[in-house]
Amino acid sequence: MSGIFRGKFALIAKIIFLGITTAIMALLTEHAFAQKQFVIGSFILVATLALNIVYLTKISIPFKFFLPGILFFFAFVIAPIFFTVQMSGYKYQTGNYLDKPAALEQVLILGAQPDAAGTTFDINVGKTPSNEYAILVSDITNNKYFISTKTQRTDVPKASLKFDANGVAIAAPNFTPISAIDLAKNDAYSKINYKYEGKYYIAIEGQNSGGVFRQELSYDAKTGVLTNTATGATYVDNHRGNFAKVGSPSEILNPGWRAPIWFENYSRLFSDPKIRIPLIRVFTWTFFFAGFTVLSTFGLGLLLAMALNRAMRGRRVYRSILILPYAMPSVMSILIWAGMFDSDFGAVNSILHTSVHWFQNPMLARGVVLLVNLWLGFPYFYLICSGSLQAIPNELMEAAAIDGANPRQVFRKITLPLLLQILSPLLIASFAFNFNNFNLIYLLTGGGPTQTLNGEIAGSTDILISYTYKIAFGNPNLQDFGLASAISVLIFLIVASISMYGLRRSKVMETFV
Amino acid sequence: MNKWVRENLWRHAVAIAVCIFSLFPLYLVILSSLKTTGSLQVSSFIPHEISFANYTYLFHSPKAPFLTWFRNSIVIASTVAISSVFIGAASAFAFSRLKFRGKRLGIRLLLLVQMFPAVLAISAVYVIMERVYTFAPKIGLGSQGGLILVYLGGSMGVNIWLLKGFVDSIPAELDEAAKIDGASSVQTYWLIFLPLATPVLAVVCLLSFIGTFNEFILARLFLVEMNGRTIAVGLQQFIGGQYASNWGPFAAGSILASIPIVIIFLSLQRFIVNGLTAGSVKG
Repeated sequence: MSGIFRGKFALIAKIIFLGITTAIMALLTEHAFAQKQFVIGSFILVATLALNIVYLTKISIPFKFFLPGILFFFAFVIAPIFFTVQMSGYKYQTGNYLDKPAALEQVLILGAQPDAAGTTFDINVGKTPSNEYAILVSDITNNKYFISTKTQRTDVPKASLKFDANGVAIAAPNFTPISAIDLAKNDAYSKINYKYEGKYYIAIEGQNSGGVFRQELSYDAKTGVLTNTATGATYVDNHRGNFAKVGSPSEILNPGWRAPIWFENYSRLFSDPKIRIPLIRVFTWTFFFAGFTVLSTFGLGLLLAMALNRAMRGRRVYRSILILPYAMPSVMSILIWAGMFDSDFGAVNSILHTSVHWFQNPMLARGVVLLVNLWLGFPYFYLICSGSLQAIPNELMEAAAIDGANPRQVFRKITLPLLLQILSPLLIASFAFNFNNFNLIYLLTGGGPTQTLNGEIAGSTDILISYTYKIAFGNPNLQDFGLASAISVLIFLIVASISMYGLRRSKVMETFV
Repeated sequence: MNKWVRENLWRHAVAIAVCIFSLFPLYLVILSSLKTTGSLQVSSFIPHEISFANYTYLFHSPKAPFLTWFRNSIVIASTVAISSVFIGAASAFAFSRLKFRGKRLGIRLLLLVQMFPAVLAISAVYVIMERVYTFAPKIGLGSQGGLILVYLGGSMGVNIWLLKGFVDSIPAELDEAAKIDGASSVQTYWLIFLPLATPVLAVVCLLSFIGTFNEFILARLFLVEMNGRTIAVGLQQFIGGQYASNWGPFAAGSILASIPIVIIFLSLQRFIVNGLTAGSVKG
């Protein structure tokens, strides 16, 4: 047995495994750099090197143990957190999603305007004798034929041309047509603006058609000024991710790019009433929801634990049934509850013989959320409390009883304070967990009801985390990653301080501090 | 008799009342899975006729490729569970047994970062995996491979933390003895520690399996294609607010999907309860 982990076998296995991993990761690095994903590419490269160094040398024994863990941890936990913090300082939303060069390219493409008549021509793509892309244009309406390249246009007499059945020129002297198949392989030809008249050029619209356009925007890389040659208007970088018109800053060109706006996403949380008002509402509800859930689940759990805290008939059966809600996959149970409260077909209405719209009324929807979360959460505290009740020494209770305390007094003065002391870290952990109980809200109510008519996105049952998700992904027309990230950072600070407080109480930290 | 009533009646009353509360939705969902009509309309609590139409629908309708979803869930969850415990155990061993510089800092960092809820970093993960997609579609956004990688990364913190607790509880005398006999750390790990820790690793593995099986939001974001979905995403999209027409098959599907998890959970009860008091909360 021990031979497997020593000597040749282990070495060969290690080298094969390391070799395969290195090969895959090197390939990924190459692909990443080819696609200009430099940050990701560099990470994979560094990871590859680190793996090889650590496992082929004896530099560090501990690293042999936790390097893979660290790499995963950095790639998918630390990096996203850093990225979130970084995004929160940017204007990063629909319309400001690209980097600046890509956005400029798009702006220039959109700056191309078709001529007044929207003229299009039948064309054929080919090459000139000097191996330059060229198009053979048939202006059938005006009975004119010419070959255009990027820089010049040459009229061709009709007599020297060959035509197809539709009267479109297909062959000319000094022009080698390219087949449709070859064109499909390389689309470089379609990115060229072919010369037409004056400021107008022909842009490729398909393999056999081209339209007449004029570039109205011209970009001066030195000054960074965009000029509209038709109207004379000038546009400059407004340092907020867009080109804005000089003298009229509200007129911006789309698309924009992601631009650093530092703390603006944070200050918007407090200054912009459209964000502040729903945020305060959501914030209050989140605290109430988490607090009420902890109290109700702990209360019911404790009641059960007290009731079943002695040998009695049927205790095992009760226990098995009581932890069922906890054993079920929560996604399934939440969806089941959502169906039960459905207003038309749900079991609740049909049993009560009512037709209440549970999820349309804010107060009812909140009630349902709290009820369902009670169902999901009480078995946890039941299990915890039964364990802890047994840990409290009986002598304490007996002593109190001898001193003449009635059972209620024993509970209030002895059992409960002791339990709270033992369980406070878990109560705090439960608060932190429910503070971010995304699945419940998303699957049960979707955060609703929402006054969508007023353009609201925050619903009555939305908690901070589901609200954040909505800001980032809810509306395909306006995904605001910057704002969502800022709220994420805020939630992190809240949850981290709550958890730290809890951990300090549980004295877990003492081992390390 | 009077004393028995006074001391025990309320206990049974409380227990029975809460048992009804906890069974209520489960009973109804089982009931409606055995009905032929699509709705949850409950005319009586006792089924008059039992039909397996909803179950057969699940196995034959292309609208709800239940078996494919189920297989996806199992494959993803077991890959994540096994790999993350394999990777995590080594890190936990290092944190628990080896002495090195920066150990304290590492543990604190692990603890702090764990408080950043995964859902919050979701837009960042989305953007990162979108970029990965541009050069490696198989592990980028929209692929199961990418989802597994993200899960693996996300499970590291919790698993290392949980495993470290377990490792600490395994007596160190044995590996110290091995050390005296001349074994290196790596040999101690493979030959002494792993065999000792196997039962514990199995438990963490199953817990991780349950956690991944239950994960919804990342899976929802990643798995767009019908046949690539996990059971949670598949059933959620299938029901999609259309309780009227799809309720029966959904009920059947949710029961079938829950059975393995409930069995794992009940058989691990003892360990889970111990783990609970260590401060972990099941999602």
